[in-house]
Parts: sequence; C-alpha cells; structure tokens
Amino acid sequence: MARKEIPGTSLEGIRPTYVYKVVLLGNTSVGKSSLAYRYVKNDFKESLPTVGCSFFTQMINLEVATVKFEIWDTAGQEKYRSVCHLYYRGAHAALLVYDIANKETLSRAKLWLRDLEKEFLPDEIVIALVGNKTDLAAEREVNTEEGEEFARTKGLLFMETSAKTNHQVNDIFMAIAQELLQREQEKASAQSLHGRSTVDLGESGARTGCC
Amino acid sequence: EYEEKTGRAHRPLSPKQNVRKNLDFEPLSTTALILEDRPANLPAKPAEEAQKHRQQYEEMVVQAKKRELKEAQKRKKQLEERCKLEDSIGNAVLTWNNEILPNWETMCCSRKVRELWWQGIPPSVRGKVWSLAIGNELNITHELYDICLARAKEKWRSLSTGGAEVECEDAGFSAADREASLELIKLDISRTFPNLCIFQHGGPYHDTLHSILGAYTCYRPDVGYVQGMSFIAAVLILNLDTADAFIAFSNLLNKPCQMAFFRVDHGLMLTYFAAFEVFFEENLPRLFAHFKKNNLTPDIYLIDWIFTLYSKSLPLDLACRVWDVFCRDGEEFLFRTALGILKLFEDILTKMDFIHIAQFLTKLPEDLPSEEFFTSIAAIQMQSRNKKWAQVKRMLIFDNR
Repeated sequence: MARKEIPGTSLEGIRPTYVYKVVLLGNTSVGKSSLAYRYVKNDFKESLPTVGCSFFTQMINLEVATVKFEIWDTAGQEKYRSVCHLYYRGAHAALLVYDIANKETLSRAKLWLRDLEKEFLPDEIVIALVGNKTDLAAEREVNTEEGEEFARTKGLLFMETSAKTNHQVNDIFMAIAQELLQREQEKASAQSLHGRSTVDLGESGARTGCC
Repeated sequence: EYEEKTGRAHRPLSPKQNVRKNLDFEPLSTTALILEDRPANLPAKPAEEAQKHRQQYEEMVVQAKKRELKEAQKRKKQLEERCKLEDSIGNAVLTWNNEILPNWETMCCSRKVRELWWQGIPPSVRGKVWSLAIGNELNITHELYDICLARAKEKWRSLSTGGAEVECEDAGFSAADREASLELIKLDISRTFPNLCIFQHGGPYHDTLHSILGAYTCYRPDVGYVQGMSFIAAVLILNLDTADAFIAFSNLLNKPCQMAFFRVDHGLMLTYFAAFEVFFEENLPRLFAHFKKNNLTPDIYLIDWIFTLYSKSLPLDLACRVWDVFCRDGEEFLFRTALGILKLFEDILTKMDFIHIAQFLTKLPEDLPSEEFFTSIAAIQMQSRNKKWAQVKRMLIFDNR
C-alpha cells in the first residue's frame, strides 16, 4: 500500500518523483472519462460508455518534485459497483464526481465516499469531491454551497469543473498533487522527528529508476 | 563521317518514336523528356555530346519502363487478388446458401464447414449463421418480442408522464432501479458506435436499438440493462432483422459466461479469469511472468473485452470475424482471442510497465492487421496438460465451492 518513490536526478540534485494512483468514481455519465480526457489530452469529445476501467497517465513537474499520475477511470453503472473495489484498491487519491445538473448523482458520490471510508484510513487517501458540468448552469440542481458544505464536513477537497469548457479541470488535479506532496512532507518530518529518516531512504531505494 | 553515319542512322527514328514503338504504354515519367537539338540561334551540340545525351536518355527510358512494368504487374496482382477474394466470397456465399444452410444440422460440425467458418462468414449470410449457431434455447417467438416491447413502451410512457405505476411481478427490483436502467439505455444508445452515425438520435437504427434493449429489460428484469449490452445488440442489428436480433440477443446473453458477467457475479467472473490464466501461462509463459511481476490481473483488460464481445475494442470487421468463430466454438474462443491479442503484441507488452500495458490493452491500435491477428489466435492452444477449457473451468468452479 506504500506509495512508490523513484528518486530522480536533476541538475540541482535529487528531486523525487512520486507515482500516485488516482481513481475516478461516480455515477454513469457524470463526465469521469471526459474529465480525464480533458486533463490529459486537453480536449473534449463524446466518450463511449466505460466498461470496466480505462487508464490515463499524466506527469506534473513541480519545483519540489515530479508527480506522475496513473489515472484509473472506472465504469459508472451501479451494477459494476461490485467489481469497482478491484479498481480503487491501493489508490492514493480519489475524485468523487457528480453532475451539478443531476441531484441524484451527488447522493451516489456520498455512497462512494462511504465505500472508500470502509477501505481506507483518512490519512491513506486524498479525496476530492468534484461537481462537473458547470457549463449546464441553466439546468443546475445542486448549489455550489451544498457541495462545498458537504466536502467541508467530510474533509474533502472541493471544486466545480467543466470538462467541456475546461473550467478548473487542471486546478483540481493540481490541488490533489499539492495535497499529496504536503502529506508526503508531513510524513517525512514526522519520521525525522522520530529519527527514522534513514529507514525511509532505504525503503525508497527499492524502486530506483531514472526519468 | 562518323558523325554523319550515326546522325543518319538515328534520324529516321527519333528516340521518342523509337520508344513508342517498343512500348505498349507510354512511360508516364518520361513524357516530359523530349530530346531535341538546341534552338537554332545557339551553336549546335557537338556530336559526341548529342550521342551521350541520347544514350543517357535511352537508359532513363529503360529504367522507367522497368519500374512502370513492375508497378503495373503489382497492380495487376493486387487486382487479381481482389478478384480472387471476391470470387472466394462469392463462392463461399453459394456454398453457405446452397449446401450448408439447408443441411445445417448434419453439416455444421463437419471439418469442411468448420474450416470455411474460420475464414469468416460472408456478410450476406452472417446473420443467418449466427442465428442458427446461437440457437433459441429460450424458445422466444416474434410474438413474445412484441409483448415485451409493448410492455417496455408502456413503461416509457408512464415514466414520461410521471405516472407511478407499481408492478408486483417485478418485486425485488425497485422502481428507481428500473427507471435508471431505462434512462441509461437512452443515454448509451447515443454513445454506441457513434462513428457509424446510425444508432444516434434520428439515425435509422436508433429506435431498433432502443426497442431491443427496452424489451430485454422487460423480458429479464432480473438482469436488466448493463453497460456493454448496447454494443452487442447493435452488432446483431447490423446483421439481423429486429425480432431475430432480439432472439439472438436474449439467447446469447443466456449463455453461462455472458450470464456470469452481465449479472456481475464476481465470484464466477474470478473463476473465468483463473481459467484464462491457466491457458495464459501455458501459451505465453514469458508474458505471463511479466504480467504477474507487474500485478497486472486479467480483469484489467478482460472485463471490457468479454462484456462487449470485442465489439468496442476491435475494428468492427475484425470483431465480426471474432463473433463468427465465437458462435462456432463458444465462450472459450473469447478467451482464445484474448490470448491471441496478447501473443500478437507480446514483444511490445514485455517492455511495458503496469500502467502502459493497461493503457495499451484497453485501447488497442486501430490498424490491427487482420491476417496476423487471426494467425496469432490460431497459434493459441486451448489445451492445458491434456485438459480442455471446459474441464479446467469445471475444476476451478469445483475448487471454489
């Protein structure tokens, strides 16, 4: 369950590369595949219904580290739910996506949250609640405040997005990356307080590679 | 003197005419090259130079002629191959129509028919063969289809008018569930083979697809609509009339493998994956080890392939050929196809890590070479230590109990 670390080298010295598994969960046709597609390819097209799971990768170069996202885009239909736990196992972050023009989908996102809470401890996974399709403002059924409030009480990141108009799609993934890195630092400093940093280095050496 | 001679010898036949005479066609690439003397206001070419140019020109012509003959031969060969292929399809249609279909029961399992079957069923008889091979164990009649469709239409009407009609016979399946199913069908139809532009709203087969999927949810409320079904129904619609497509659809989904998957019976699905892995290891040990090392489990790629019977992941013509043999050999061919794909791309896959393999297999290249693909499937042995697919599966099911 440990996050993977590959120490990479740059001109300034060693800048770590972190590989994170990010899983997209939510009702069918709330726009999970479209969000992934927009984020990775910066484009929007009609997606086919996802059966099982599809995969994307994206790399972010930040000052302190390089982040590699492995994005697992899951099937949304309720009936696939029993196979979905295959997909979120070992995830470092999850996006719970709902459609702001369909109130029902927010309730489903809440159920997904319950599933995740059963599987993960709170500090094991970064969860973001994402209200997609802000381009359908005229048909809105869920207020921004409602999503925001729910995310606040549950300690989730929150953002409203539109994969279609490219509204805040990059931002939500960036927020997740920042949060993951911050947790990484907190963990490192907690460990060095306990004088265990050397152990950590030894562990991370297990998957050495260059990028 | 020499000058005079050579000049005279060549003068009666200009090089161009000469070329014309020797060739049954004009080399296109040389028509712009006309050997001429210099214009009158310039000093004439020395004879030696003229001779040299003539020679060079002739060599060029010879080369061009060779090249173009070669190309013409290639084109001729291609044309012959196409004619041969069309002839063989034409012959195959005759064989299917006149010999095999009228004597289906006695002939369908003969070696000759099985071999012809492997070559791919000609599109004009494909639907008939699929129907016969899938069979109608459920004894569905056209009337039953009409009844199911009428019920589905009633439900759509009551949904759209907001009427809360309670039906006791479907007890156990909440109204909300079914409503979601019907909504989902509408949504997915527009997302089924969008490139073909025939199932989308306003397209010629939109209503047909809608009807078949709706009728099925009334026929089998315990299964309902599951994503992936719209692709299967669409492929059947492309090859069969509506009611026959419904009959084939319902019977196809009633087969053990399809039932296990469409009811999302997780335990049984895992058994199928385990059986698949037995043959995977046997056929492609190197790749199998690589997948194991990378924690790449079969569910990652098999779920999409099995649920849609490859119609979403392979080009449609290849998918239909897979369906052809699937109708002949049954479920084991679906898993054999999967191994064929893995074999075809073994070298590339062995060099990839988890996420890239997952990405590759869930989005196969669009220009899959069809002959190599089927050669690769043919090379897969569905025998493991003298045990066939069905035996391996049975053993695994038994072990799980």
